[in-house]
Amino acid sequence: MMFTIFRDLFRSRGAFAAGVVLLAFVLLIAAASLVSPYPPNDSFVVAPDLAPSWPPVLGTTSRGQDVFWQLTFAIRNTLLFGFIVALVSRIIALVVGLVSGYAGGFTDRVLMSINDTFIVIPLFPILVLFYFVMRERMSWTLLALAMACLGWAYDARLIRSLAMSLRTREFTDTALFSGMNTRQILTQEHMPYVLPIVFSTTMNNINWSIGLEVTLSVLGFTDINTPTIGVMIYWANQHTAMVAGIWWWIFFPVLLVVITFIGLFLLAVSMNEYIDPRSRLSRVAT
Amino acid sequence: MRVWRIIAVVTLALIGTVSVHAEESVSDLPRNETLIVENPEGTIKNAGWFNIWAINAGGQSTGLHQLALDTFWFIDPERGLDGIWDNSLAADKPLYNADFTRMTVQLRKGIYWSDGIEFSADDVVYTIQTHLKTNGLRWSAPIQINVDSISAADRYTVVFKLKKPNSRFHALFTVRWNAMWMMPKHVFEKAGDPLRFAFDPPVTLGAYVLHGYDPNGKWFIWKLRGDWQRTSIGRFGKPGPKYVVYLDPGPPDKRVIAQLNHQLDIVHDTSPEGMFTLVKQSKSSHGWFKAFPYAHPDPTLPAVIFNHQLDLFKNRDVRWALALLIDIRAVSLASYRGAATISAIGVPPTGSHPEVYHAPLEGWLREFELDTGKRRIRPYEPAVGRQIAEMNRAAMGDQIPADPIQIARAFGSGWWKADPQAAQELLEKAGFAKRADKWVTPDGKPFSIRIMVEGESRPVMTRAGSMIAQQWRQFGIDASTVVAQGNMFDRRNAGDFEVFIGWSVETWGGHPDLSFFLDSWHSQFVVPPGKPQPPRNWQRWSHPDLDRIIDRIRKTAFDDPRGLELGREYVKLTVREMPTIPLMSYNVFTAVDETHWTGYPSAEQPYANPVPNWANSRYMMVRLKPRQ
Amino acid sequence: MRGYSIYLLGRLSQFVLVVFIGINIAFIVTHATPIDPVEQSIAAATQFGSTNPEAVALMRQSLKELYGLQGGLWDQYVTFWKRVSVGDFGPSLSAFPTPVRVLIARALPWTVGLLLVSTVISWILGNLLGGLAGYYRNNKVLWLAGIVAMAFHPIPYYIVAFVLLILFGFVWPVLPISGGFTMNMKPAFELTFIASLFKHSILPVLSLVLAGLGGWFMGMRSLVSNIVTEDYVTYAELGGVDSRRILASYVMRNALVPQVTGLAMSLGAIFTGAIITEQVFGYPGLGTLLVSAVHAGDYSLVLGITSVSVVAVSVAVLAVDLFYPFLDPRVRTTG
Repeated sequence: MMFTIFRDLFRSRGAFAAGVVLLAFVLLIAAASLVSPYPPNDSFVVAPDLAPSWPPVLGTTSRGQDVFWQLTFAIRNTLLFGFIVALVSRIIALVVGLVSGYAGGFTDRVLMSINDTFIVIPLFPILVLFYFVMRERMSWTLLALAMACLGWAYDARLIRSLAMSLRTREFTDTALFSGMNTRQILTQEHMPYVLPIVFSTTMNNINWSIGLEVTLSVLGFTDINTPTIGVMIYWANQHTAMVAGIWWWIFFPVLLVVITFIGLFLLAVSMNEYIDPRSRLSRVAT
Repeated sequence: MRVWRIIAVVTLALIGTVSVHAEESVSDLPRNETLIVENPEGTIKNAGWFNIWAINAGGQSTGLHQLALDTFWFIDPERGLDGIWDNSLAADKPLYNADFTRMTVQLRKGIYWSDGIEFSADDVVYTIQTHLKTNGLRWSAPIQINVDSISAADRYTVVFKLKKPNSRFHALFTVRWNAMWMMPKHVFEKAGDPLRFAFDPPVTLGAYVLHGYDPNGKWFIWKLRGDWQRTSIGRFGKPGPKYVVYLDPGPPDKRVIAQLNHQLDIVHDTSPEGMFTLVKQSKSSHGWFKAFPYAHPDPTLPAVIFNHQLDLFKNRDVRWALALLIDIRAVSLASYRGAATISAIGVPPTGSHPEVYHAPLEGWLREFELDTGKRRIRPYEPAVGRQIAEMNRAAMGDQIPADPIQIARAFGSGWWKADPQAAQELLEKAGFAKRADKWVTPDGKPFSIRIMVEGESRPVMTRAGSMIAQQWRQFGIDASTVVAQGNMFDRRNAGDFEVFIGWSVETWGGHPDLSFFLDSWHSQFVVPPGKPQPPRNWQRWSHPDLDRIIDRIRKTAFDDPRGLELGREYVKLTVREMPTIPLMSYNVFTAVDETHWTGYPSAEQPYANPVPNWANSRYMMVRLKPRQ
Repeated sequence: MRGYSIYLLGRLSQFVLVVFIGINIAFIVTHATPIDPVEQSIAAATQFGSTNPEAVALMRQSLKELYGLQGGLWDQYVTFWKRVSVGDFGPSLSAFPTPVRVLIARALPWTVGLLLVSTVISWILGNLLGGLAGYYRNNKVLWLAGIVAMAFHPIPYYIVAFVLLILFGFVWPVLPISGGFTMNMKPAFELTFIASLFKHSILPVLSLVLAGLGGWFMGMRSLVSNIVTEDYVTYAELGGVDSRRILASYVMRNALVPQVTGLAMSLGAIFTGAIITEQVFGYPGLGTLLVSAVHAGDYSLVLGITSVSVVAVSVAVLAVDLFYPFLDPRVRTTG
């Protein structure tokens, strides 16, 4: 038994370390955009269609851009975008989910009606309309806020169902009887159980927002002047890169997204284990 | 574990049901009798609708207007099977009276509908009268505006009485991509409201009948009529393909894959890179030109179109300055990867036009002088086409022609020399000033331009727009592109743009007459800002000299050689005034596969337009022969 | 049971309210689009021809009358609700006069079939693998499967779909890459048609399953790893209950509850269609219809499709709420 706990701990610390390393790598690449020798939006600054070699370590695109330097801007913008969407929507989802799940009754009904309306709204026509209406004034921050407002509903429900089952647990009654008010109960007692779910939904949310950004870009409803992962794929598509054999234009952005995600996942998993009160207990025992 | 075993068994069973053939056959039709063609309309929403006379109720280029319908005359964008002009349902050219208020048409005898009824004046009279009484049909409006009455002088002669003189009324029935088609009286008179009749299956006048279609709108199959000699195209021989399939092949990458698999004989259009891949990887695929630039130049002229109702672009010097900032060689590389046919003048460099307009005006262009305010310059550089050819020779090798005449044909002749110094002088002459690297307008506001592009649906033009914005930006103007994804038409029509990349010039191609687009540029049609502009004067430009030219063209007959002189005057006017900046012809990367069929039209044998959504492409069918 | 009836009543009225609001929002959104269907029709009709400007003005007038766009927004709103109450969404504006209902009915079975099958398969597979991975923490194979699922999950769906297309349609061309069934075949209840249907669905379903697997896998694994530390599980292990029985009846049974919620929601979302799948594989369905309707400014069609999706998702959410107390006994509605 001791051996198992030891191994779990090791693994979790190893996961933590690996996650940190991967994310640091990605952030480093994003930071490299500050020293890029080429402006992000210019084309034909280098010879086009060169395979990965030295100096274009990741090759060049059919538009005459260096894939590596484009990628630095792309991942920076995409990460910022995903981060804003995740942050704003988590806050909304947490507040709505916890309050609704705990309070129940009329508050629950009202909040859930609002929630359901947001779940039910068709995403694609709204985003397209948003795009048409905003046009030149459209910026990635605005799009991020719009997507955040549309992306909290499902996770709020998840948090709410968790909160509902937590409410019926014994320790909640204990806390109530010992005089804690609602806010204290929510933040001090329930939050540690809810946070692991929040972390995994954060990852899903970032994944979702990047996926939606790529879908909108592939369909053309996007601002093509700012490089993001979706816009890179858009341009690669315009130049039928996959069929023309310019695989590096697509492979490296996708690889970077995968690395980002794995890093986040490892981080989330190891932090879950650390925070979750039950696994903490099992680590302390014996 | 049991679970793994179950999963393994299921997977193996699935793999077992999949046959392992290298070239999966795409249908059960005999491949050597079937021609498979791309329909750029994509998936047709309402597949079972063949009534082309109702607007946009169903598909048009699903083979419907290419193979099944017919009308009086065809003008070929290229040379034509037997000359550019073809009398199809008509037996002869249109006969006008002296003041162009009456048009008489002699009909061809011996043409039969696919259900055995003979085509006659009755059908024509019925078609016109239906359009006169019904609003909302595709050709109701032009018929109601032009035609006073129609009568049949005998079984094969019709006489149109027009409401006002119109020397180009026959253009309505002359096919350039499409035209007004003839309805079968015996079918429609029993059908009730023509706006709500689906016409499924269609009774055809062309050489093919409908064999089958996909209820989801992805493919349409046409079969050669047994009595093909009783159709107009039968004069030229028996059409080669027994079955012709028009389908939606998906995104550009997929079209390339389909042709590499030899499952798509004619690709309508793909990206330049897709074309290069096809030619490199398949010995049997080629474009209009066997060598670079491969593409077929459509008689359409993409240009930088200014909104003349904005003060910013009212000054001719500003427009010229912006033109001199464009290095067309970089634009050609960025958009078409160099596979572009450039044109400095407002006429597309295709069909008959290089001989009638570009070549005769070359001398005038070289001598043309511009006053920049500080000096006089000669902006025309005759060698640009050759320079682009040389730039591509490094990468493409012997794919680039060496013969100067071929180079001029393929790449175009000259363009304006990029001259930032002259541009600066012109802008300063117009009152603009440069402050700390950025240009400001005479009002002191920063000089910024938004170039509207179409985005996903028009990738090459989007690339051109991005490159032009970059060049203006490098000069110090705050320029960038804005993608009008999906609402390009609305914004263009409404004048809701500063500058956009598009075309306001489209011509017949084979025939040098410019009235196809030019008539609509008359100032009488320019609407006030905010109102929708009718096609094609998107730039909303008006000029008294232009009106004079147009009025004289209206009084000149279609084939009168004096019309050519007037056309050249139009060209000189637009060079001086630069209402739009012409860039290049609209190159369509139509790729044909010679694995199953041969005999396609090409630059060496320009007997027809191969671009498959043109109704004119039907002439290909009589020359196509199966391989082996 | 009386408490449940009250809950039911309240929940049903919530459902009706949400559907009503949802469809109203859809109405506003689709009519606020700056794309004018009349201009689109005219543009498509005059694109290649040489149309006299006077004629275009006349055309515009006729089309406005034909499409019924004469009245103001309020008139159109009233007409819309009058029609919807009898299940009619009016004629499509970009395929006039075909009714929207007909167009949707044609495309719906394809979308429902494709997404139902893909969602259920990826749910089952994902939960199965995730549950096993969460329970048998030390198993190397499962750990590896976890890494693979995780690596696939963030790859943009478009890329997954296209790579499959190139692999099985070009490099090793054994599967069809276009259409719902073989060309020139008439849809009928025969073996050849059904086989062709099946073959054409392999790649689309495979791509959707690969894309969706990761999410279920990771969700299930984290749920299971939480439950594994619960007292009753430890007690059962100590009590000598067979580990497979623990996995099935104790762990998975409880972990599946939130996953069932997720499944219901995903099933509801089916009706928005799989736009990218349809584009890449040329598969028929609602997605292509929706995109082309948006491009043409066809309010009626967009409204029809989004209304269907609003109702479907609302029903899914309602079903989850009504059945959740039966699934998780800890949550009972208080009176």
